[in-house]
Amino acid sequence: MTSHGLEYEGCNFFRQRLVLSTLSGKRVRIKGIRSRDDNPGLRDFEASFIRLLDKVTNGTKIEINQTGTVLFYQPGLLLGGTIEHDCNPQRSIGYYLEGLLMLAAFMKTPLKATLKGVTNDPTDPSVDLLKTTALPLLKQFGIDGDGLEMKVWTSRGMAPGGGGEVIFSCPIRRTLRPVQLTEPGKIKRIRGIAYSVRVSPQMANRIVDSARSVINKFIPDIYIYTDHLKGANSGKSPGFGLVLAAETQKGFFLSAELSSAPQGQGPTILPEDLGKNCAKLLLEEIHRGGCVDSTNQSLALLFMTLGQQDVSKVLLGPLSPYTVEFLRHIRDFFQIMFKMEAKPPLEDERKGGEKVLMTCVGVGFSNISKVTK
Amino acid sequence: MDGKVKEQKKEQKKHQQKNSGPKSERKKSRKLDDAAVEENEHKKNPKAFAVQSAVRMAKSFHRTQDLKTKKHHIPHVDRSPLDPPPIVVVVVGPPKVGKTTLIRCLIKNFTRQKLGDIRGPVTIVSGKKRRLTFIECNNDINTMIDLAKVADLVLMLIDASFGFEMETFEFLNICQVHGFPRIMGVLTHLDSFKNNKQLRTAKKVLKHRFWTEVYQGAKLFYLSGMVYGEYQAQEVKNLGRFISVIKFRPLAWQTSHPYVFADRMEDLTDPETLRLDQKCDRTVSLYGYLRGTYLKKHTQVHIPGVGDFSVADVGFLPDPCPLPDTKRKRTLNEKERLLYAPMSGVGGVVYDKDAVYIDLPRGHVDREQESRPTTELVRSLIDTHATLDAKMASSKVSLFRGSATITDTDVEGDQQLEDGEDEEGGDDEEGGDDGEDGDDGEDGEGNSDMDEAEASTEQPGKLTEPQRVQTGKRLKMSVDEGEPKVSETLAFADSEDDLELSKEDLSEGESAAEESDEEDSESEQIETKAAGSAFCSDEEWTDDEPDVESTMKSEGMEIPPPKTTEKDLKKAKALEIKGSDQAYETDGALRWKDDLQQKASEVFLKHQQAAPNLRKHVYGTGKVSECQDLEAELGGLFRVSRPEKSKTNLADAADCSRFHPDSLHNWDLEEMLHSIADCFVTGKWEEWQDAATLLKQDENLYGDFEDLETGEVHNGDDKDQETQPEDVKVDDETQKKNKRLEKKRRLKERFDAEYDDGDATYFDDLKEEMQIQAELNRTEFESMDDATRVQYEGFRPGMYVRLEIAALPCEFVTNFDPHYPVILGGLGSSEGNVGYLQLRLKKHRWYHRILKNRDPLIVSLGWRRFQAMPLYHIEDHNGRHRMLKYTPQHMHCGASIWGPITPQGTGFLAVQSVSETKANFRIAATGVVLELDKSVTLVKKLKLIGYPYKIYKNTSFIKGMFNTVLEVAKFEGASVRTVSGVRGQIKKALSTPAGAYRATFEDRLLMSDIVFLRTWYPVAVPQLYNPVTSLLLPVGQKENWSGMRTVGQLKHDLGLHYKPKPDSVYKPVVRAPRHFNRLNIPRQLQKALPFKSKPKQDQGKGKTPRDLIRPTVVREPHERKVAALLDALSTVHSYQSKKARGAQRLKHKDFLQQREKQEGEKVKRQKEAKKKLYRMMGQQENKSQRSSLKGASQDG
Repeated sequence: MTSHGLEYEGCNFFRQRLVLSTLSGKRVRIKGIRSRDDNPGLRDFEASFIRLLDKVTNGTKIEINQTGTVLFYQPGLLLGGTIEHDCNPQRSIGYYLEGLLMLAAFMKTPLKATLKGVTNDPTDPSVDLLKTTALPLLKQFGIDGDGLEMKVWTSRGMAPGGGGEVIFSCPIRRTLRPVQLTEPGKIKRIRGIAYSVRVSPQMANRIVDSARSVINKFIPDIYIYTDHLKGANSGKSPGFGLVLAAETQKGFFLSAELSSAPQGQGPTILPEDLGKNCAKLLLEEIHRGGCVDSTNQSLALLFMTLGQQDVSKVLLGPLSPYTVEFLRHIRDFFQIMFKMEAKPPLEDERKGGEKVLMTCVGVGFSNISKVTK
Repeated sequence: MDGKVKEQKKEQKKHQQKNSGPKSERKKSRKLDDAAVEENEHKKNPKAFAVQSAVRMAKSFHRTQDLKTKKHHIPHVDRSPLDPPPIVVVVVGPPKVGKTTLIRCLIKNFTRQKLGDIRGPVTIVSGKKRRLTFIECNNDINTMIDLAKVADLVLMLIDASFGFEMETFEFLNICQVHGFPRIMGVLTHLDSFKNNKQLRTAKKVLKHRFWTEVYQGAKLFYLSGMVYGEYQAQEVKNLGRFISVIKFRPLAWQTSHPYVFADRMEDLTDPETLRLDQKCDRTVSLYGYLRGTYLKKHTQVHIPGVGDFSVADVGFLPDPCPLPDTKRKRTLNEKERLLYAPMSGVGGVVYDKDAVYIDLPRGHVDREQESRPTTELVRSLIDTHATLDAKMASSKVSLFRGSATITDTDVEGDQQLEDGEDEEGGDDEEGGDDGEDGDDGEDGEGNSDMDEAEASTEQPGKLTEPQRVQTGKRLKMSVDEGEPKVSETLAFADSEDDLELSKEDLSEGESAAEESDEEDSESEQIETKAAGSAFCSDEEWTDDEPDVESTMKSEGMEIPPPKTTEKDLKKAKALEIKGSDQAYETDGALRWKDDLQQKASEVFLKHQQAAPNLRKHVYGTGKVSECQDLEAELGGLFRVSRPEKSKTNLADAADCSRFHPDSLHNWDLEEMLHSIADCFVTGKWEEWQDAATLLKQDENLYGDFEDLETGEVHNGDDKDQETQPEDVKVDDETQKKNKRLEKKRRLKERFDAEYDDGDATYFDDLKEEMQIQAELNRTEFESMDDATRVQYEGFRPGMYVRLEIAALPCEFVTNFDPHYPVILGGLGSSEGNVGYLQLRLKKHRWYHRILKNRDPLIVSLGWRRFQAMPLYHIEDHNGRHRMLKYTPQHMHCGASIWGPITPQGTGFLAVQSVSETKANFRIAATGVVLELDKSVTLVKKLKLIGYPYKIYKNTSFIKGMFNTVLEVAKFEGASVRTVSGVRGQIKKALSTPAGAYRATFEDRLLMSDIVFLRTWYPVAVPQLYNPVTSLLLPVGQKENWSGMRTVGQLKHDLGLHYKPKPDSVYKPVVRAPRHFNRLNIPRQLQKALPFKSKPKQDQGKGKTPRDLIRPTVVREPHERKVAALLDALSTVHSYQSKKARGAQRLKHKDFLQQREKQEGEKVKRQKEAKKKLYRMMGQQENKSQRSSLKGASQDG
């Protein structure tokens, strides 16, 4: 039994490698993790991610060398169940959730994860964003039903202190559906959440007003909720931010978010500026276009790969570097290559930039953890 | 008179149908009624059709619906390939039943060829759309298992004179477990029946037995007898017809895994390493049609009987046994009836990665070719006329096709421009033989056939035989000289295709050179270089399409005139322009205007190349160059480690999925905002979606109408007519036509939506969805060429592929026997790993013994056959998996093994040994995989035993169960039980003796009681995974694989016997006679008891008291006399009375007889009297009736 493993260098795209390794059952060895850095080896948040993977799997073998620069990962089988995890506050919960989203549908028992830590920070997609964009995407692939849920539970925690709590539950599936997401449709409404914790509740209203001022030119159907939390529910650090999501007629979501810099780091930003910038980011996202927004490109591509041996298609905006690397990794782990057709905008069309039509044939993946009785 | 009557009788009057009158009317009305009966039934007899019971009606409705839905199968996406691989026909049967004869007859039937010795699979073309691969299955259970997994159709041969044999049933069972392929029975040896009736009954019995095993109505063929050692032609023909029309159901395992049933094997190991070490691991290439599903590169395969391997290289080859080109005709001609069986040494053309072997019969070899030296090298030497120096001097290099060539003299500085266009004619021909291999072979080409190039300018398009040979040599030469040139061309290359260094070209050139050396003059095998063999190898994968094309062309001997692509033209022109620019620099300032069109086309072409650019960006040379160069040595001791900015940034950058582009667009600009306006519902819609257009279309659809209320007349067409310009052009007409078609389509859609989809069920929708998906699957990559297509899809089923496997054990090659099938079964994504499998298992009911826990079993699961040690268990009601010592007799049980991860729902079968051939049924168990995991939770029952040593009422002190206080502490609160069933609980540990504890019970214990504590102890599943390597065994011994032995076998082999403990031995039961004490009821109680329950006879009588004993009487003599007399008298009296009683009885009997007689007579008399009376009465009645009738008639 020689299931040949794969070897990588550097800590970038760490999650992709571990997640794909878990799904494909291939061993992976990552060398030279920050080996030239003053502070070499795995960071705490990466260790925390490994621990999370260990919690949802059974029989996973992890070996890390003394300095933490070499990681050997032999995946086990996905177990799921009810788990609780304290996420390291160096990265927000979105970092961990992105990994879980890819794995959750292929567990032995439905996953019900309670994650504690930072719910919103400027680097990673926040829980609110993933809730509005990733969950509808899962539904496209047939992962839907009562069990699918993701929400900020009791409290929101901003960087750097954290203290928020998120629950994520997902039903299990044996196989995924092939999809043909080629026609994004037109944007019919824009929704958003402006949140503020441990600051004046007026901040959220100021964000809403400024954001509306930018996008009102396009569409009148805009509603931005304000979410102000107080006391124990407000986590450990102050902050505010905005998440915007544009929904198309076909039920696809494009989103953007912006959050204030963590307390004591970086320049302070006025809520008006934040609102405006976030709205512009949304416009940028709309300009990129496609059926899946740039954050979830890799998720969509993964589920296309893991589909039955049928042709799946999805129209994306320009591929982000993360997605490009993800495509390479998919080729390494599953030997799947995507057919990419660039769709430059037509002359008289005013629908943003160039789009890419991604086509692939699934590997015929089936959930081997699920029990049949 | 008489004669007339007779004549009349002869010609009887015919029946004349009444056409009028009441009778005919009645008939007519009845006829009408009959016609209307069906409609009027409800009216006529409404009660018969009324709903009698709503419940029953609902039930019957339910039933019909249930039956209807039962017929449905879950619809599947049809993934069957357009060009299906040959159907695997496995011929199975016990020895001496006629398997080989049948295959030979069928092959002869289809191809008109006779095969002598059949070894391995034989592929033939059987029809316009069907190919067959025949394989014979011998009696080895390993072969049977392997072939059952790949079979599409099984021809099951049965010796009718003998009946079914155990192997037949075994094979059927194997088939059932691994998905049921089509099975056709064939009865042979039917000529051995002398009696026709016997034959018929035998047929019938066998048929019915076969039907119960396969399915009711399964096809069973009869081959009645042999003619000259062959089956009768007509019967074979019929069988062949059945085979060629049979339809197949996709089998779950086969359709989800790629597999290759190898029909050819070549050892590629380097002869040098082989010489050094005979037993080194071999590199082997295996060939066969790909079946099942898409095969990806670098997949893992399992070769049953050998082991798991990862495929080093995959490539597809031209089909050696292709289907005829689709033409409208009924039958195949002789040329198209192909036969391919490399293992038997048959098959015309054998393709390989870089060569084609043609096997020609002796008579066909061309004489002209024979006269020439066959070695290419020699030939090329003969054809060379100029020396190397001369050639060097006259050689030219052309950087681009059709561009100016650079000669030796050019390099010295003399810029001499030649007209590219003029040269085109000559280069056309060059392209004809070496295509676009220009990157590396350009200068070689130049120096070797300078003279030919000149010649060809005079006679374009003509190429003689020697010249062709030259090209081969040219290629070879280009190998060593080409490399430096590559870099040179790189610098000028403007398209990314040229940037890819095509190593493949080089290596192919080399291999071609090697081949030409290998060529053998005596043999009739003529090696030609792969002409257009579209072999795609590993290196080419990274290349672009055009490159692949070029390699294909590079060795093309008979390739049609080169296609000068647009790109080439563009390049040529661009260079031309450049050249002219240089030459006439001073020329007018408006020069830029001249090539405006060219520039535009350039831009356009660049746009066209955007797609491959994206692909290259993602999948192209992804490797970042190593930073080794930066590490400079310092004094030979230290290395300076300079962190390279760019690289570390990439490798160690923050792992974030957000897309932050380098520069955001400026969203303050109105222009930018305008660019995404159409993304919103408020923006402009596409024409076919726009509300206004849709409305207009609707209007057009429904045309003119008149509003009745207002009296206004709407004319649908006027707008069109108005908008149409007066001068009607052809263009407009087509537009109109299109419009009309569109309109029609829309109407139809609407109609369908209204009427067809109204009653469409969920099932129909699902089926339609699947069909759409299947259509998409088929069409998506259809237009691509195979080399590109395999990158996206993987290799399609139906392709003839070559799989190279490195590091196969040398025994595979040295002990290769073509009679044993070599199957390469592709494994799914995590099927290469091992873990614990939980199975549902049932001992086969024909297996004669139950299976013991931990006894090794050989399991056939997925592609594999392996030995494992199962632990049997059963699930308790609370979900606990309790270990069993043996499998239950007739029940399912669970089994856990350590083995390869295989998807749930896969069936398996188990045998205890593959080596023995016994009369008994060999399949020990069958079952299915339920669950996969990396750990198991099996428990076995463990009873801890203790003894009370002190008893106080319900509390007892127990010792002997544990050894330490700690152990007791772990079990505090646990429930215990005595043998007699008294329950209790562990309370607390005692300090002395160690391990003793206090426990309370529901009753007082006895000192003789034994206390149990029932616990569950986890057991580990033994990690034995031992693949059956039967293919590695020497020829002739492949059936003798033996793995780990069971304990029983070991004991048997070593002559060991189990010595039971003396305590466990059964001894004869000796029972002491039981003794019961008297029941003593107190007097008071006795008194109170009712009489019924009072003790009665229980008390002994005891002694009779004296006063009650009566004295004996002694008679006097007189008294004695009197008594004797009385005695005698009474005797006499009793005799007499007895006699009298007898007489009386007789008398009475007489009397009774008498009386009976009298009675009889009396009855007789009475009867007669009655008779008389009744007769009288009857007569009288008759009379009166008659008289009354008379009276009536008189009245009437």
